[in-house]
Amino acid sequence: MSRLGLDRFSALYLGAAFIVIFGIWTPHLFLTMSTVDTIASSQAIGAMLGIAVLVPLATGVFDLSIGAVVNLTAVLAAVLMQRDNWNMWAAIVLAVVVGVVIGVVNGFIVVKLRVSAFIATLGTATIIGAVQTIVSDQTQPLQPSSTLWANLTEYQVGGIQVIVFYLIVVALFFWWLLDHTPTGRQLYAVGGNPEAARLSGIKVDKWVWVSLIISASLSGVAGVLYCSLSGPSLTFGSALLLPAYAAAFLGSTQLKPGRFNIWGTVIAVYVLAIGIQGLQYVTGVQWLGDMFNGVALVVAVGFASMTPVLKARRAQARAALENARAGRAKTAEPVGS
Amino acid sequence: MSDGVTVSARAGVADPGRPEEDAGEPALLVRGLSKSFEATRALLPLDLTVPRGEIHALLGENGSGKSTFIKLLSGYHRPDGGEAFVGGTRLAPGSAVSSHAAGCRFVHQDLGLIASETVLDNLYAGVGYPTVLGTVNDRAARRAAAGDLARAGVDLDPRKVVGTLSPAEQTAVAIARALRPGDGGGPRLLVLDEPTARLPEREVGVLLDLIRTVSRAGVAVIYVSHRIDEVLEVAQAVTVLRDGQKVASRPVAGLDRAGLVTLLLADGAVEEADVSAHVPPADDAPVVLAASRVSSAALREVSVEVRQGEVVGIAGITGSGREAILPTIFGGLPRFLGEVRVTGTLVPPQRPDLSVAAGVAYLPPERARSGVGGQTARENLVLAGLRKHWRWPRLSRRGERAEARSWFQRLAVRPGGAVEQPLASFSGGNQQKILFGKWLRLGPRVLLLDEPTQGVDIATKAALHKEILAAAEAGACAVVSSSDAGELIAVCHRILVMRDGKVAGTLSGKDRTLANLTHESFGTRSTSAPGDAAS
Repeated sequence: MSRLGLDRFSALYLGAAFIVIFGIWTPHLFLTMSTVDTIASSQAIGAMLGIAVLVPLATGVFDLSIGAVVNLTAVLAAVLMQRDNWNMWAAIVLAVVVGVVIGVVNGFIVVKLRVSAFIATLGTATIIGAVQTIVSDQTQPLQPSSTLWANLTEYQVGGIQVIVFYLIVVALFFWWLLDHTPTGRQLYAVGGNPEAARLSGIKVDKWVWVSLIISASLSGVAGVLYCSLSGPSLTFGSALLLPAYAAAFLGSTQLKPGRFNIWGTVIAVYVLAIGIQGLQYVTGVQWLGDMFNGVALVVAVGFASMTPVLKARRAQARAALENARAGRAKTAEPVGS
Repeated sequence: MSDGVTVSARAGVADPGRPEEDAGEPALLVRGLSKSFEATRALLPLDLTVPRGEIHALLGENGSGKSTFIKLLSGYHRPDGGEAFVGGTRLAPGSAVSSHAAGCRFVHQDLGLIASETVLDNLYAGVGYPTVLGTVNDRAARRAAAGDLARAGVDLDPRKVVGTLSPAEQTAVAIARALRPGDGGGPRLLVLDEPTARLPEREVGVLLDLIRTVSRAGVAVIYVSHRIDEVLEVAQAVTVLRDGQKVASRPVAGLDRAGLVTLLLADGAVEEADVSAHVPPADDAPVVLAASRVSSAALREVSVEVRQGEVVGIAGITGSGREAILPTIFGGLPRFLGEVRVTGTLVPPQRPDLSVAAGVAYLPPERARSGVGGQTARENLVLAGLRKHWRWPRLSRRGERAEARSWFQRLAVRPGGAVEQPLASFSGGNQQKILFGKWLRLGPRVLLLDEPTQGVDIATKAALHKEILAAAEAGACAVVSSSDAGELIAVCHRILVMRDGKVAGTLSGKDRTLANLTHESFGTRSTSAPGDAAS
């Protein structure tokens, strides 16, 4: 089992199984270059958001505002270009800067005001939603019509849309940052045991803050790319939140089990997408994506908590519980000793 | 205490739950119990007999198989072979229920008490309260609790909150809880896993008395400890394990400390560290650490000066401020007033990062707070001072691994070379060595060590003590805060005794005796009884 890596590489095996099954089932639909391109490009944003949530997760905090950030920056970029006739690059820069600022604010609330990241980002997500309504004036802006804007993501390189290459660059960068630099090591240490990290001289607050800035900034970029790829949407961002977490948690069961990691996350995104796409070709029903992602999140978190360290701890807890139960069962019957 | 002699005669299994009939049965009879984990043989076939009412010490260095044996008895592990009888009842392998029903009770080093709850709630939360119509019957519960406590020889108000009790009292509550009657045939065997590891010297005696009371009631006690003097004092028989093998099982009478140490260690006696064998720092040696008038929630104007090459000890009972002093100096705990200087440079309060940058290392008392359990030993070792292996554009994993291996070798971490295993997978003593290495590799100017050898075996303890003295000789200085007076006497040039948040006294040179330490700690410095001298 360990030699084949059925545990560490289970998602890869699952992905291969999907390809074989659906390839045999609907070869004319599934085994085409257009399917490859559809899956690769439509999921590139999802994978970027998986990486965006992974950074704070590795540092031990949740960022629930990423969906709202995607919505806001997508709408903002479109509004600036369509309604206010901004230059494309200026609009992009402003949208991304808004993402960065949101990250700074999130970090401030978490680090300085000592609000738990879960609650803080849930709150800011709602506020960002309100801001988005103000910016968009409740009407979905039109997709800017310039070819340059469309080409930003859809330009074909060797039959694949260029956005896929953006993802590769982002993934490579964060893989380097998390796995090969002192910064990454410190982020993981903070996530692993903040008190130990602090007593080792690591600036815990700083890294929590940095991780929240990274997630919001990357979400801002993803929002702009999303707008270019699919057009501005008032709501789609929130639909991206759950799959991002599903991917990050599923990813943490892969390659380096027990640790949130970039390539595991990217693999998870694509395996889920292949499964969903294949099933949709076969059945044609619409609810599959939600069903698949929800189940995957729960199952992934279940598996993630089965890492060796946690496993040992659980076994201990179970033994203790059994002991207590044994005690209770016995007290029921009166025994003289 | 010859094992296995009466074994052949005992073919049948006695009826459980009838103590009158098994009066002749030993409390514990173990035949050929063994256990392996993958390639390592944790416990070779073990035979052991413990008669009723005997206090039987179980000694062995970290990794000798003690824990494995206890876990086999508790049903946590399933043995590969062999069997165990408790009061004549055969234990079903790997069953916690069977172990409990046969009368095995365990008190672990982590007592498993809820500090914020009362003694009463701690006694009954796990097993259910006496109730009337589903409502807790407070009066009956209090009466039952008082009975349980009295049976264990503890005089305590069950309404007290556990967190307010002394460590010895907390241990007593845990023992009383374990010995609660009415479960199966009642307790026959009490296993105490290092019950005194966290206790200050003074409270150890209280606990040993309690253990004697328990054994007089006919309950056999297996007593696991690294403290040899206690074993000689309280136990009637001792079994020594080494590398999973029983090397001796004999009455304590006629054994002395040296004899036991020889049994414990494969290569004969360990050479214990002794500060008096080292040259003390000169009076004009530069002051490296100067804390002046440091005040916090637990400390009142504490001043400490440590010179280059000096090892200073901090003693004091629980609540004296001893536990707060090192984290407050380091910045782990808030400091309200006062200054801390390291070689003249001011270190602001609550800035561990600046303390580390100034050359201060701090080893917290609880390992759970000092290491990242989920990360590998290598990652933990290099965590402070990551830059050393930074070669643009990446951290040199090979360099880190080589360095980690060399520290594993130097500190004799077992299993050797397992630098890529998660920290949490190492035994407590080995984790402590790794965390020691983490700071030693930085070549710190000041070592702040909080209970550096708690729960660590003698050989490791001596090795760590030598590292402290070697670091001091190489030009660092160290402050050791410990509840183990012997440790302070062994490694410290000077011992500060804390009382009520203040430094109550200083002992140096020949004054560093157990008796003086105790008297200073309790503020009873009169003419000390000559019989009290240190070991």
